[in-house]
Amino acid sequence: MAVSLGKRKRPEPKKVVAKKTAKAEKSESDSDDDIRARFQRAFEARFKPLETPKVPVRQDASGDESDEAEVQADSDWSGISDEEDAVEVVEHGPGIELDREEQKREMKAFMSSKPPSSKESISNIFKAKSKPTEDEAGESDNLKHDLALQRLLKESHLLDPTTFGTAQSTNEPSGKSRLKALNLRLEDLGAKKGIMDQAKMPLSHLRGIKAKAISRESKRRKEAAENGIILERAKGTMKGKPERKRERGVDGPGVGKFRGGTLSLSKKDVRAIEGPKKSGFGKGKRR
Amino acid sequence: MTTAPTSAPLKFTGSKYLAQRLTLATLTGRAVRISQIRPGNHANPGLAPHEVSFLRLLDAITNGSQIEFSYTGTTVLYKPGLITGSAAGYGAEGGVLQHDLPAECERGVSYFLLPLCLLAPFSKVPVNVRFTGPGVITSSTEIGDVSVDTVRTAILPLFRSFGIERNIELRVLQRSNTGKDGRGGGGEVQLIFGHQVRLPKTLHMLNAGRVKRVRGVAYSTGVAGANNARLIETARGLLNQFVPDTYIFSDVSAAPLIAAPERNNPAAKKKTGLGFGLSLVAETSSGAFYSADIASPPSGGEAPEELGRKCALQLLEAIEQGGCASAVAAPTMLSLMAMGSEDVGRITLGRDVVGSEGVVQLARDLRAFGMSGWGLREGDEEEEIVVSIVGRGVGNVGRKIV
Repeated sequence: MAVSLGKRKRPEPKKVVAKKTAKAEKSESDSDDDIRARFQRAFEARFKPLETPKVPVRQDASGDESDEAEVQADSDWSGISDEEDAVEVVEHGPGIELDREEQKREMKAFMSSKPPSSKESISNIFKAKSKPTEDEAGESDNLKHDLALQRLLKESHLLDPTTFGTAQSTNEPSGKSRLKALNLRLEDLGAKKGIMDQAKMPLSHLRGIKAKAISRESKRRKEAAENGIILERAKGTMKGKPERKRERGVDGPGVGKFRGGTLSLSKKDVRAIEGPKKSGFGKGKRR
Repeated sequence: MTTAPTSAPLKFTGSKYLAQRLTLATLTGRAVRISQIRPGNHANPGLAPHEVSFLRLLDAITNGSQIEFSYTGTTVLYKPGLITGSAAGYGAEGGVLQHDLPAECERGVSYFLLPLCLLAPFSKVPVNVRFTGPGVITSSTEIGDVSVDTVRTAILPLFRSFGIERNIELRVLQRSNTGKDGRGGGGEVQLIFGHQVRLPKTLHMLNAGRVKRVRGVAYSTGVAGANNARLIETARGLLNQFVPDTYIFSDVSAAPLIAAPERNNPAAKKKTGLGFGLSLVAETSSGAFYSADIASPPSGGEAPEELGRKCALQLLEAIEQGGCASAVAAPTMLSLMAMGSEDVGRITLGRDVVGSEGVVQLARDLRAFGMSGWGLREGDEEEEIVVSIVGRGVGNVGRKIV
């Protein structure tokens, strides 16, 4: 059976159907095409019409196709099958040429003191690290923009109107607000301690800072009271609160201090153990 | 503490396979008496320097070994102790056991490394031995020892298939070829074997696969690096036709200096161990290794091109023999299989490898030490034989007790 050259090309679906109905004899490939066409029609009925890849050369050829087919129908040449179309390429190259960087890696992997592991080949690693395609690049760009927007929304309260214009260019806060933003991000990630907190400080400085804070607060309250503004209730000052007992070690004594093999009790401890002293009157009341 | 009933020591004769027998004795805990060691050699009867050195090494890494020589050194009685490794307090300094090889040593350092690698998985603590002294030859020798590079790249990866893979290192601190008149070098090698097991895993290697890549190391000590380039050029020229993924690395180092005191200059030193060599390793898709080794003879007079060609041909021959282990690696693998759990392990070997003198002798020696016999059958491919070995579950005595 003569399969014309034109059969290999993807014809318009209608055309194919017409041909199929006209032809009594159907080859395997023909029936395959038929099924394909049916599927396509069913698909197109439900969804959008499919785009058939149009190759201009093929369309030009389709004009002479019928003539050619007629000519070759008589000859016993059965045409070129699709399998033969694919060109098998065999290369006898000089071997895998590694560039300098790869050479160094491979050398390090092989010439180290450890027995070389056969699991990962260096060349495979390089294959995997191919250049990102345009889609991937766009995706990563989108992700970047997304992150930037999220951050801007979160940290917008840090933006200083005076520096707003200058910081805009980089989209990143600068100066002190940069540190603040960084602190926020770290807190988001679960940092316990801010980066702004000073770890160590002379006690005199710390006292000074605390005293200043207290005086500032008291001043504010005083001014508010003078102006008749009602403020939030003052938090209980440190002095008023009773000191909570410190956690003791499991093996330590429940009371007093154990030092140098002796348990020493302070007067306070003794008083606590003895309980409130009973006065003479109290004794009299008991029956 | 009760002591096991002492059986009469196993008797062997001859100096051949001395290291192998001593290793098996240490692994199985059987005493051996080896007699008639070079009785006919009137100039140097008895144990050779490298054999004495090997006994000293065994003494160093075990605890409670007894070694008795006869007056002439033609008979040695060895009662092995426990393999302790480089335990502190047994001669190891800072966890490293230093082993000096004498200048008269003719064998390459792999003569010591291969048995040590076989013992190390069964030791109590990690083995860390540094070979120093004027007798360390890191290159391959004409007697048939492989180079340290081959040990590292072709033998040590095999332990992986037995489940022994962590903390294994072989550091070449100083390279050295064979010194003048074929003895002595000046190299320095450190073996760290930090993975100890109770029993090696049962091995099933039936398909050797096909060679996927060839790697190699060309080394020259104290001679021009151009020798390396010439070695590589010819070896690659031959191998590239078969395996495009061929790569040979070059290592150029200065000649080692060893002390050579003179009367008016007691601090004098001299260069030794000059030369060059090549180690090639072919790896297959299923993890089998074939290796080839060559080094310039101490007398010189061989062109690097010729040696490179020989080495490549040697590698092709090893590949042709087939199987999952080359003749170099077979004794190590077979011994480890025999030490494994009481289960049948199988390995495919080339017919020529199974029929080689070393492997046949190993089978006999294992039998003598009370191990089970081997089962042989035809492999799937021609020229291949499947060797089935039932382990005896001897394994690590030190691990069993502690």
